[in-house]
Amino acid sequence: MSDAAIFSLAGAEPAPRRRLRPTAGRLLLGLGLVMLTILVLITLLAPLVAPFDPSATSPQSLEGSSSQHWLGTDAIGRDVLSRIIVGGRTTLFITFTAVSLALLAGLVLGLLSGYVGGWVDEVIMRILDVIFAFPVFLLAIAVVAALGPTVPNLILTIAIVYTPAMSRVVRGPVLSVKKWDHVEAARSIGMSEWRIVTRHVLPMVVSPIVVATSLTLAQTIFTVTALSFLGLGPPPPDPNWGGMLADARQFMELAPLTVVGPAAAIVFATLTFIVLANGLREVLDVGSER
Amino acid sequence: MKRVILVRSMWMAAILLGVSFVSFMLMRALPGDFVLAAAGAQMLQPEVLEAMRRDLGLNQPLIEQYLSWLGAVLKGDFGTSFVTHQPVLHELWPRFLVTLELALIAAFIALVMGVSTGLVSARLRGAADWIVRLYNGFILAVPNFVVGTLIVLLVGLYFPELAVLSYTPFLEDPLGNIAGMILPAFALALAISVTISENTRAAVLEVSNQDFVMVARAKGLLPRTILWNYLMRNALTPIITVTGLQVATLLGGSIVIETIFAIPGMGQYLFDSITSRDYPVIQAIVLVAAACVVFINTLADIAYATADARVEA
Repeated sequence: MSDAAIFSLAGAEPAPRRRLRPTAGRLLLGLGLVMLTILVLITLLAPLVAPFDPSATSPQSLEGSSSQHWLGTDAIGRDVLSRIIVGGRTTLFITFTAVSLALLAGLVLGLLSGYVGGWVDEVIMRILDVIFAFPVFLLAIAVVAALGPTVPNLILTIAIVYTPAMSRVVRGPVLSVKKWDHVEAARSIGMSEWRIVTRHVLPMVVSPIVVATSLTLAQTIFTVTALSFLGLGPPPPDPNWGGMLADARQFMELAPLTVVGPAAAIVFATLTFIVLANGLREVLDVGSER
Repeated sequence: MKRVILVRSMWMAAILLGVSFVSFMLMRALPGDFVLAAAGAQMLQPEVLEAMRRDLGLNQPLIEQYLSWLGAVLKGDFGTSFVTHQPVLHELWPRFLVTLELALIAAFIALVMGVSTGLVSARLRGAADWIVRLYNGFILAVPNFVVGTLIVLLVGLYFPELAVLSYTPFLEDPLGNIAGMILPAFALALAISVTISENTRAAVLEVSNQDFVMVARAKGLLPRTILWNYLMRNALTPIITVTGLQVATLLGGSIVIETIFAIPGMGQYLFDSITSRDYPVIQAIVLVAAACVVFINTLADIAYATADARVEA
């Protein structure tokens, strides 16, 4: 039933649309969305936007900024700007896929744990407690080192590392929502458990999950780039931000832009999701986690 | 009180058991043969490999291997390094102390920065509050290895006479050692100071709204007295807990910073061991770092329960 139908049933005029006042939360959210759009567009259109072939070398190495190479060239004469633009693809692809997997696993485990409760809850939470005890980055390093640094392994590792946190974010609100009257009512009219969970529990817990996902995206960019920085990132020759930063350190005093460029890209991407998370938190009115 | 400590300690033991099992399995789940990794680059006869397998107990059931490994670990025997053939603990201990020192200096810097910005934010409100919160949001977006690299770059460009990348052992020159630690510790401290700042702000604001503070204000106590004796005293517990938890994660999280600044701590040791596939060392470091986190978490829980009688065991 559409909104208009409800209003006509009630015999009332639809209320005039409230003008959205520019509160701090909405400004932040708007800024975050603009930054996200820029990031996604540049990443998707990378081959079209990049002025040069990111792997093409040239004799002009370690040059400063020029009208041709805006951010100069690296140690073997590759265009830094093009490498940053194309490198975002690898970094962001790993980030988005891994967080999607962690979100999916977190939804399943969190809903099972919170909604079913009992020994299922105990078993799931105790296993996740153990994974949670490892510092995220340390666990990621150990698993990637054990499995070998390939793109699928990186995705899998990061998904595993962030699943406990995601599950907790889902489980908490589910625990309280399942005791609410509308869930009881749905059950009393014989609605199937699956329908109750998908229609009456999940929609109530979406807000904190959305905020947590955005923050996890920011943390994941850190984890992916830091792993690449240590040489545990996606294998060459495809450029990625962490690897570029690490490679540039050797000659950075000769060509500071080779360091500043990827650093700025990492900060911009991370900032996008932090701004987005804070805007969403204000707009969706999600309390602080504690 | 005793009950709280007992329950939490048993809880800690259970988690540690799980952590040890994951650390053990992590290195057994390696693709390829553990013995071939132990043998390194040498080409060995099949009989020799078989003998090594027997010596390492690899032909026994997995659960027995785990139990005997755990028994050895509890006695402080983390095995022998594949690379140096020295006992792992022997090599790990001095490096652990270096990382601990780095983490403590970072915690101190983060406390000073975080508490002062948090106080400014909570007490002045208005524009100052906004500036601090925007600054915190931005700092959160700058990963520590980016801060570290930029510090090395700036020092290299403008203060080349400062030797950033030279580590001095503490026993040789204590002051030089601490001076060398300040920049890397600062890189680690930035992100932590944001967490501390936000927690300080929240704690002070919460205490400010309570009746006893209003009474203190009404009876005319100096603002300075109210701040230190009433606000900070009550806000201190959450601040210290948060700092403790952050320091625990630093023990495992300073890998990149130690690599950038060439500090011979546990993180750099881990990095080197990954490069040389020295699995017993990787296993030991993962276990030690996770155990530190579990231990400090438990301490924080007990501290909370002690400070607040309402917390259940």
